[in-house]
Amino acid sequence: MKWQIAAGLFLVLGLIVLTLGLALNEMPRMELFKASNDARTVEAGASLFENNCRSCHGPQGKGIEGVAPAINAADLYDGSRLAAIGWSGTTDNYVRNVIAAGRPVPSAGTNYPQRMPTWSQRYGGPLRDDQVDSLVAFIMNWEDRALAEGGGAAPPTVVEGAVGTDLAQPLPAGDPERGKQLAEGSLGCSGCHVLAEVGPAWMASGDQPGIGARAESRFAQDDYTGQASDAQQYLVESVVQTNAFIVSGYQPNIMPQNYGERLTAQDLADLIAYMNSLR
Amino acid sequence: MAIFRMHIPFLDEVKAKGLRQAGRAKADDIVTRVTAGLNPSDVRGLLRDDAPGRPNPRLTPHAEGFWLHMRPTYYHTLVDGLYPTFRLGWLATFFFVFEIITGVILMVYYTPSPNAAFENMLNLLGNVFLGSTLRDLHKLGAEAMVLVVALHMLRTFVTGSYKKPRQFTWATGIILLGVTLFLSFSGYLLPWDQLSLWAVTIGASMVEAFPPEVVGQTMNLIVRGGPEFNADGLLRFYLLHVVLLPFIGLIAFGVHYYKVIHHGHSLPPGSEKVGEDTAKRVPMDSRVYFMPKIITRELFYIVALMFLFLAAATFFYEAPLEVKADSLITPLHTTAPWYFLWLQGMLKLGDKVIWGVIVPTVLIGLLLVLPYFEVGPSRRYGDRRLGLSLAALSVAAIAVLSFMGTPWYGVSTSAEQEAVATLLPQTHPGPLREAEWEALQLGSFTASEYASAPNAEMAALLESFHEEVERVNDEARSEAEGVMVIEDWQTDLKKVTLRVIWTNLVDGSPGEYSQVVFLHRQAAYDRGGGS
Repeated sequence: MKWQIAAGLFLVLGLIVLTLGLALNEMPRMELFKASNDARTVEAGASLFENNCRSCHGPQGKGIEGVAPAINAADLYDGSRLAAIGWSGTTDNYVRNVIAAGRPVPSAGTNYPQRMPTWSQRYGGPLRDDQVDSLVAFIMNWEDRALAEGGGAAPPTVVEGAVGTDLAQPLPAGDPERGKQLAEGSLGCSGCHVLAEVGPAWMASGDQPGIGARAESRFAQDDYTGQASDAQQYLVESVVQTNAFIVSGYQPNIMPQNYGERLTAQDLADLIAYMNSLR
Repeated sequence: MAIFRMHIPFLDEVKAKGLRQAGRAKADDIVTRVTAGLNPSDVRGLLRDDAPGRPNPRLTPHAEGFWLHMRPTYYHTLVDGLYPTFRLGWLATFFFVFEIITGVILMVYYTPSPNAAFENMLNLLGNVFLGSTLRDLHKLGAEAMVLVVALHMLRTFVTGSYKKPRQFTWATGIILLGVTLFLSFSGYLLPWDQLSLWAVTIGASMVEAFPPEVVGQTMNLIVRGGPEFNADGLLRFYLLHVVLLPFIGLIAFGVHYYKVIHHGHSLPPGSEKVGEDTAKRVPMDSRVYFMPKIITRELFYIVALMFLFLAAATFFYEAPLEVKADSLITPLHTTAPWYFLWLQGMLKLGDKVIWGVIVPTVLIGLLLVLPYFEVGPSRRYGDRRLGLSLAALSVAAIAVLSFMGTPWYGVSTSAEQEAVATLLPQTHPGPLREAEWEALQLGSFTASEYASAPNAEMAALLESFHEEVERVNDEARSEAEGVMVIEDWQTDLKKVTLRVIWTNLVDGSPGEYSQVVFLHRQAAYDRGGGS
């Protein structure tokens, strides 16, 4: 019994020492926990991005022209993109809101006519709040490198010797291979006409032939409202005067109307040669 | 006439005897009241272990006080040692109280909602002072309690203490065993992480099998609050955990302990004649009085256990927390909690209705009424060869079934998945996440060339990956190879792809399986923490 009293008192002392030691270490421990939890939030966000965002915003969030803008770009973090659209909050807030609520209306005047879907469960999307938080943490983790690298979504450039909007002008001989590169590259055509069906599909599917074959008859249809008098003019018109004729089932003003200023005659000829090759 | 008259007798005493005398008398009085009958000199004698006077003043608190009236005034020397009780019943009581105290504090930081529960855990671990210690203690105490209660039952069986007149004590003990298991099980769900959701989902899966179908489905709905665990199910488990089960537990414990004291602790089987029960007839020279010996020992045990558990929680144990629960993603190798693994093992034996419902129900029913049909008079080991053999067999069966409940038995996952899961398990962090972040060199590494890995850490990872990838080769596949690709992904973030490639022997076509993980410099899986 005596040893139990002695050992008990000794252990009470031990308990006090242990608790004190724990208490002294508690603040740094909680800081470490929060740091590691933040780190794991970024990890979770990276996985979510790969599974949900990468297909439109591109590998490493570099963007896909015509589909979805770059996120991993300096202009998002240096404030210029926010200023351009009149967002007065922080980038963090902007990113969170766009992910959560999406963009119900495509951004007018940009090369991105697709809508950003809503992702938060609060707005009918698939992601929980903590998953939206993870995505934001991952995206905001690009900030340092994006600012260091510079660059970003440059506004569509107006080229020297642009082709304009005249349907009847003669075009040089086109190269379908180069046209394909243009369509899939900086012009972003494939974003809406190949990868997604925001605009009429170019490729043949089912019993519908490709765009090249359809152009040959469309200008002669009764409901046609444009000025084209042959297949080539029809394709030129649909690129540079985008609202002249809207194929039934699609909306006006979705396709950017500035391709006349962005393309040279050679670019347009190559593009049309590519479209003509799709039958 | 005064409406209100105040009289302080102490002042009269002071007036009569002087402050010093009156103060001393008052202090003595207070001590006697607090101890429910022991004056200071009795207490001093108690602490010094002096021989008590006659009549023994140390018996008064048992008669006068509430707490000690529940405890016997003396025990038989034969049950005072570690054998035959091993103090298991006392330990179970200790953990019950321990869990109530830690649990009530944890309740302060908890909201039973899928939108808040997991975030509450992060808050508890990251913002609440000593919150993580509290959680570790509660979890560790729960595991210990399950073990102790199960051993208590085993001990009671082995010493034959369930026999007449203690049949009902045994039955209430079985109820307490159930309460303990379900307390632990219902608490398992509350953190609302992947581990808890899926362990409980598996544990609760046999409810649905209850025949006939309509009953099973209804019971399943009642338990889960819907087709699968969500807000309603979490709330139900929470209320079970903090209200209903503790309530049933307290009542069953009250009855159980009353019966224990009423019949006396059963003596070691060999110490009395067959068919006799002499526990209540304790000769004067065989009495060990509660005060001072037993109470001193119990206080010592309490302090020692608290020290032990605090030390364990500080240095060795961290209650696990996986990522937030997601009912759409079932992690590979999910299991029920360890004390229900035997059930999961039984489910693998065949029909869910037979092995998941009928057999467990019959077994528990048999256990409950065991003392009413097993009426052999002798408690001696030599006379109970069959019963003791059955007990040993049951323990072995539970062990084997528990092993069968683990993913290592009878789960057919593909070898390539298993190979990736060796480095990247889905139920705990595992070697890749726990590896030194800096040691993961960028580049593409072939598992079989682990010897030429850039450092020892990666060599170890690649070697264990390689060993598992070897198993992909079978009669249908060959040339299996593991590849680990490490890319720089973001500031402080690396992307690691584990890929298994092989050649299908039938048509020579290549096969591939891969999994990606992102690892952050500060994620610190090696020291627990995080979510």
